[in-house]
Amino acid sequence: MSATVVSRPGVSSRAQRREAIALVVPAMAPIIVFSVIPLMAGVYLGFTDATLRRNDVADFIGLDNFVRLMGDRFFWESFRIGLVWAVACSVLTLLCAMGLALLLNTDLRLKSLTRVLALIPWAMPPVVVAIMWRMIYSPTAGPLNAALEAVGLPAVNWLGDFSTALPAVIVVAVWSGMPQTTVLLLAGMQQVPTEQLEAAAVDGANAARRFWHVTLPALRPVVLASTALDFIWSFNSFGLVYVMTEGGPGGRTMLPMLFTYLEAFKNRNIGYASAMGDVLVIAVLLVLSVYLIQQFRKGKAER
Amino acid sequence: MKKRFVLAAAMAATAALALTACQQGSASGGGDNDNDGGGESGGGEEVVTLEFQSLSDQPLAMEAVQGIVDSWNADNPDIQVELVQAGWDGIYDKLITQFNGGTAPDIIHYEAGSIAPFAVDGYLADLTDLINPDFASDVSEGIWESVTVNDQIIAYPTTLQSYMVFANTDLLEAAGVEVPTGATMTWDELREIAQATTTDGQYGLGWGLSSPTATFMSLGLGFDGGYFEGSGSDVTIDVGEGELAVPEAIHQMAYEDLSLDPVSLTQSGSEVLPSWYAGETALTVQGSFRVASIGTDAPEGFNWTVLPPLEGSVSADQAANPQTYSVNIDSEHVEESAQFLDFFTSTENLAALAYADALVPASASARDALAEQTADENGWAAVLASGDSLVAPPFLTVDAYTQWKDTVATPAFQRFLADEIDSAQLQADLTDGWEQVNR
Repeated sequence: MSATVVSRPGVSSRAQRREAIALVVPAMAPIIVFSVIPLMAGVYLGFTDATLRRNDVADFIGLDNFVRLMGDRFFWESFRIGLVWAVACSVLTLLCAMGLALLLNTDLRLKSLTRVLALIPWAMPPVVVAIMWRMIYSPTAGPLNAALEAVGLPAVNWLGDFSTALPAVIVVAVWSGMPQTTVLLLAGMQQVPTEQLEAAAVDGANAARRFWHVTLPALRPVVLASTALDFIWSFNSFGLVYVMTEGGPGGRTMLPMLFTYLEAFKNRNIGYASAMGDVLVIAVLLVLSVYLIQQFRKGKAER
Repeated sequence: MKKRFVLAAAMAATAALALTACQQGSASGGGDNDNDGGGESGGGEEVVTLEFQSLSDQPLAMEAVQGIVDSWNADNPDIQVELVQAGWDGIYDKLITQFNGGTAPDIIHYEAGSIAPFAVDGYLADLTDLINPDFASDVSEGIWESVTVNDQIIAYPTTLQSYMVFANTDLLEAAGVEVPTGATMTWDELREIAQATTTDGQYGLGWGLSSPTATFMSLGLGFDGGYFEGSGSDVTIDVGEGELAVPEAIHQMAYEDLSLDPVSLTQSGSEVLPSWYAGETALTVQGSFRVASIGTDAPEGFNWTVLPPLEGSVSADQAANPQTYSVNIDSEHVEESAQFLDFFTSTENLAALAYADALVPASASARDALAEQTADENGWAAVLASGDSLVAPPFLTVDAYTQWKDTVATPAFQRFLADEIDSAQLQADLTDGWEQVNR
């Protein structure tokens, strides 16, 4: 039966399309089942009054959660902290990683060893990083304060003090996020044509000018991508801060994800917490689109 | 033909997977399970297996629990208890996942304050009529109240802790302070001792209050500071003199007397212990359960004692927040589980358990047995004495308590202890925060 069908051209292309669908579906199925459906369910939950009660029936309540969220000043306070945190983390990570990448890109002795060493923070799980840094920051037994006292400076209660807690966790986030960005930038630097650098050197440009006018423009796409990713990851990060401060002291490190976690699993209001999640996704998209559009425009103008 | 079949099969598989995924969310229903249970126990000869998730993670306590389970299993071939060892770390997340996924064990170990939300959400069996009357009358009304949710007893209370003042007797002696011997000790006495033992560059008292709310809720009862009025979601908050007495006393010691180490206020209880062991502070306030670990961890030649329980302006009351053993409402064997728990909480077993964990047993008979057993061990007498004044705190029946504690009270108390806000501001923060949370 199929042999006669194939001879007609219109039907053959349709058969081909069907074959393609049959091949794609097995690959799509896990994505739909494990990503798309849970994601849609999560978005939908934000419009219901779902809780974690036994045999809970979630009713559709429209925009009630979002209206309530508008007046939730604890959430907006944590949102503000989240923005400070994410911007600080991505900018500082970029600056530090750029420095480190430049250093690793020069012809140092033991180059391969130093490159491996720079990657170590990346190899550690966030919880281990957090516990290690909590020990370093310990006000009574930590090496950091011991060093400060040894040179005659006063000890600081890094994670317990209101003014130092957020900067202290940002430093840790930068430290643990640096290797990733460093590797990306290092790879980007090796793509910069050496002829251009040499030509600039011949024309009398010093190292700073060579970096500014040759290396940096060539790195733009890498910088763009890595900052955008860093921003998303920092804004959504949870483990590091949860282990180090649990949002304390006095809520100074209460990132939006920590706040949402408390609402979802401590207060068991899954619906309301999902609404928070929806708002956070929209916020990240907004910030990123503004940043990316701006950068692309700048890139075009310079060309 | 063949191709169409492949396509159809792939679609069917997708649909099936999607349906399974959807169903998981509502799989915690109990209707089917109940029917199965009826059929099985009707057989009579069937061996019932109970899953028992224990959190006791100290070596001695694990041994004690295992011993109790083993002797029950030997005596009851029809009802076998299978011990599942879990730990206190992250147990809340584990339980909420187990309950929502329908995989919670039959018997659940936890503590009154934290298990209450699960009872409110309907996950725990009503044990009111299953509890052995002897045990029921052996445990004080205040402790029963702490495990009662919506007029149902939802757990067997077993062991409790209180907050006690631990003192380095050598430093007390050096400062010329006599160890108080009364049945209780007032806050003023604590203040005087802390002041007397404060020397140049050394604080008298170290108090790990990084998570201050539970401590303030508990010790506040001595000043009639209950914070909440009402139950469920119909609750009003009242932060007055009684509620603020404990935070203010601590603030005074830290910033006026300079006899309390302000750094310790940002640490946890266990982080404060090393400086007490090292003789840097003379006093530390800790959970009573430290009696056991101090006995073994303290350096050689370290002389210490437990001071009498702290008494507020009204009483020496502290919050009863007993460890609890509850039964899953979806369990097929609620009655058998209760039978095992009756055995588990018998005088002898409870005393053994309390001794292993250095906690106060909930039943009076077990407390007497333990007092006899520990007559010549350091610190136990004061710890057991504090067991008489443990009462159910009002917050146990407040729905939004955990939320208020995490998002309002703990940050506000931390700010107050860091001397960032004064007590009028603390009062306002706690009250306004409650209005925000309890909407």
